[in-house]
Amino acid sequence: MDSPAIAIRDLTRRFGTFTAVDNVTLDVAPGQFFGFLGPNGAGKSTTIKMMTGLLAPTSGHIELLGLDFATHPLEIKRQIGVVPEGLALFGRLTASEYLRFVGRMYGLGRDTTNSRTEELLDFMNLADEPKKLVTDFSHGMQKKLALAAAVIHGPRILFLDEPFEGVDAIAAGTLKAMLQRMTERGATIFLTSHVLEIVERLCSHVAIIHQGRLVANGSLDELRAGVAASTAGVPGELVRGGGSLSGPQPEEKLTLEELFLRIVSGAGSETPEEPVQELSWLA
Amino acid sequence: MAGVERPGSATRWGFLSPLARGQYAALAWIQTRMFLNGLRTRRGSVELGARILTFFVFSAIAIGPSIGLGIGAYIGVSHGLRLAPAVLLWVLFLAWQFFAALAPALAGQNPELSHLLRYPVSFGTWLVLFLVYGLAAPSTLIGLLWATAIGIGITVARPDLFLWTALTLALFVFFNLLLSRMILAWIERWLAQRRTREIVTAIFLFLALGAQALNPAFHQSGHGSLYGIGRQKPLHLPSRVWNVQKVFPPGLATDSIFQAMQHHPLKGAEDMGWLGVYVLGAGGLLALRLRSESRGENLSEAPRRSTKARAKVRSPALLDFSGPIAAVIEKDLRYLMRSGPMLYNLAAPLVMAVVFGGAMRGNRVSSIRLEYALPIGLVWAFLGLTRLICNNLGAEGDGIQFFFLSPTPMRTVILGKNFFHLVLFLLEAVLISALVIFRFGLPAPSIAAATLAWLLFAIPANFAAGNLLSINMPYRVNMARIRRESGALGNGLLSMLTQFGILAVGAAVIAPCGLLGHNWWATPILLALAVAALFVYLRVLGNVDRMIHFRMESLTLEIMKTN
Repeated sequence: MDSPAIAIRDLTRRFGTFTAVDNVTLDVAPGQFFGFLGPNGAGKSTTIKMMTGLLAPTSGHIELLGLDFATHPLEIKRQIGVVPEGLALFGRLTASEYLRFVGRMYGLGRDTTNSRTEELLDFMNLADEPKKLVTDFSHGMQKKLALAAAVIHGPRILFLDEPFEGVDAIAAGTLKAMLQRMTERGATIFLTSHVLEIVERLCSHVAIIHQGRLVANGSLDELRAGVAASTAGVPGELVRGGGSLSGPQPEEKLTLEELFLRIVSGAGSETPEEPVQELSWLA
Repeated sequence: MAGVERPGSATRWGFLSPLARGQYAALAWIQTRMFLNGLRTRRGSVELGARILTFFVFSAIAIGPSIGLGIGAYIGVSHGLRLAPAVLLWVLFLAWQFFAALAPALAGQNPELSHLLRYPVSFGTWLVLFLVYGLAAPSTLIGLLWATAIGIGITVARPDLFLWTALTLALFVFFNLLLSRMILAWIERWLAQRRTREIVTAIFLFLALGAQALNPAFHQSGHGSLYGIGRQKPLHLPSRVWNVQKVFPPGLATDSIFQAMQHHPLKGAEDMGWLGVYVLGAGGLLALRLRSESRGENLSEAPRRSTKARAKVRSPALLDFSGPIAAVIEKDLRYLMRSGPMLYNLAAPLVMAVVFGGAMRGNRVSSIRLEYALPIGLVWAFLGLTRLICNNLGAEGDGIQFFFLSPTPMRTVILGKNFFHLVLFLLEAVLISALVIFRFGLPAPSIAAATLAWLLFAIPANFAAGNLLSINMPYRVNMARIRRESGALGNGLLSMLTQFGILAVGAAVIAPCGLLGHNWWATPILLALAVAALFVYLRVLGNVDRMIHFRMESLTLEIMKTN
């Protein structure tokens, strides 16, 4: 394996006495489309924030593209793109003004910024209303613009926090095509999403975090093998520790959603099989 | 379906309905909880301290004049001088509207209630909440205190008029409350969109220039000084002026009280009726504005969707040079040009300079005080920028995260913002200086040199303090509304104290030198202080990234929070 694009070691973040991320260790190879999954409040966004410099870790080590984040934050930021949870948009600019601003903040020349801005707005179907302010965009349009801003400088790693939430099917198709093209060209994509079908279709590798701890990590087939092994009572591991997972090959092909539910319910207190309590007062 | 009333069921929507009363109770509870929860944090405690201090400051501003107003009302009524209460009520009326107009500098005036739109809040309830929330505004508190003092003065002179006076003044106070709210709400509406903003600006400029042109002409024509009334002649107004003022609310309130004094209750009631018409008028216009707000109007600048062929995407660059600093300046310039409240904030010192410039000249202020008109004018120029300088990240909203994600050091971002604010200040300073020189003539060279030296000290000192406050006590600014902002009070108080401190340093140097007759001595002293201030500014700037690194989470939370 090449030196990983993303290497995090024993990453921990505590808020007072609450541990949001607990000793997470993870490697993502260059060119990988990596899905980072977990239930609400599991620590996904906190992890992404630490990996992108929005949040300082309590302890642990983050290395992106072979550079230590603690010592080379600006060099790293120049080579990564991020669509954070809050989208990081400036509401009172137009889409083209915003993209041109972002390009210049990443050190692109004016001509490059302008040509890429036009290209991206066309690609994202955002060029129809050049005078509309970002604050007046629909949520889906804002998402597309945030993605355009995250890639304008040609990042080598792209971090996406829920990129498909609130995006219509047509736009989602456009985004998926763009992301796949980026990985084909060698970019690494680190994505969190609750839409497991999309993750299953796009991602070659998946990690699952639950209650701050990494409970699974590997390719989908490796996860299936791990689940099958643990179901059969054979000692196996879901979190890859440098080597491949042990255990028998799966007989049935579980979907990512089924895998996710089994892993999460096995790892924590949540039991999805439990019937939902009846809320008699609901219509 | 227990607990949920469906549309069509007998839900009552009035502002006193059980639903509305429940909503008032819920809001009171949530405000209390937010206040108490806020005390758990250092920031919350600072806010409480700032609130208490502000209360005392405004009480001090209000109490002195209120004693004078009370005594004036007592003397006027006991001697049957109708002019005295009329002047007092006019003073009250104008002061109330003046303090309301200073709303942005006083940390907002009208409450932001748009977050209530998601709940089934009726328009009546919305209106009541708007007025109740607004009661805490400084203009209202000062106005209420002054009105009470006038009422006490009249009642002491004529105890039999207690009820009549109380009723009239209550109506007058209610009118002022509605009027100040109404004016600000409509100004906010007009400033929200470019076209209306341009119209308002054009009207304002026309009136300001007209006043500047007319004022000297008025003084030269031998009509005497309007501002000098009462100093040079005994209190006397031409009957035409008296008759005109009688149809306005302060005149109506005065007349109503005097009619009652002279045992003409019907005539007094008629005046009160007309005052009621004014109340209805102001209330109606306010309701008209709030009705649109309560329906969730969109005051964005977005044009209607065009059906024409796609327009060219690229909009022209405002500044034709590349690099992060230029990008930050260009972004902030676009933000400023699209924000009515920000422009209003910048324009306020100019407006006040026009108003006070006229008043000082008309009042024939002593030549010693006029010598200092330029430095005073430049101090004033800082005021419009205080909120920008001392909360320079507050308008970024969700965009704040972008700065943390981008490879541009925060030092560069802050430097760009400081540079932009410096340009704005210089522009404002040039305009105010021109106005001061036009009105009062050129200052002595020694005073001009000392002023320039003080500026060289004040600018880096302001930016150093402003950057520290922006990082340590930021608050989210709504660029589209002139509204009270959560967390603004603590920052506002400290930024005002900073301004006073910088002013005090200048005064402590210039005044003694002037008293000793060596005005020139002030310049080298202030230049030495300027070097020290520049050193401090560069130190602060050099530490910006380190400070922000430690405060990134709280900065993000404060600036991105919705309510």
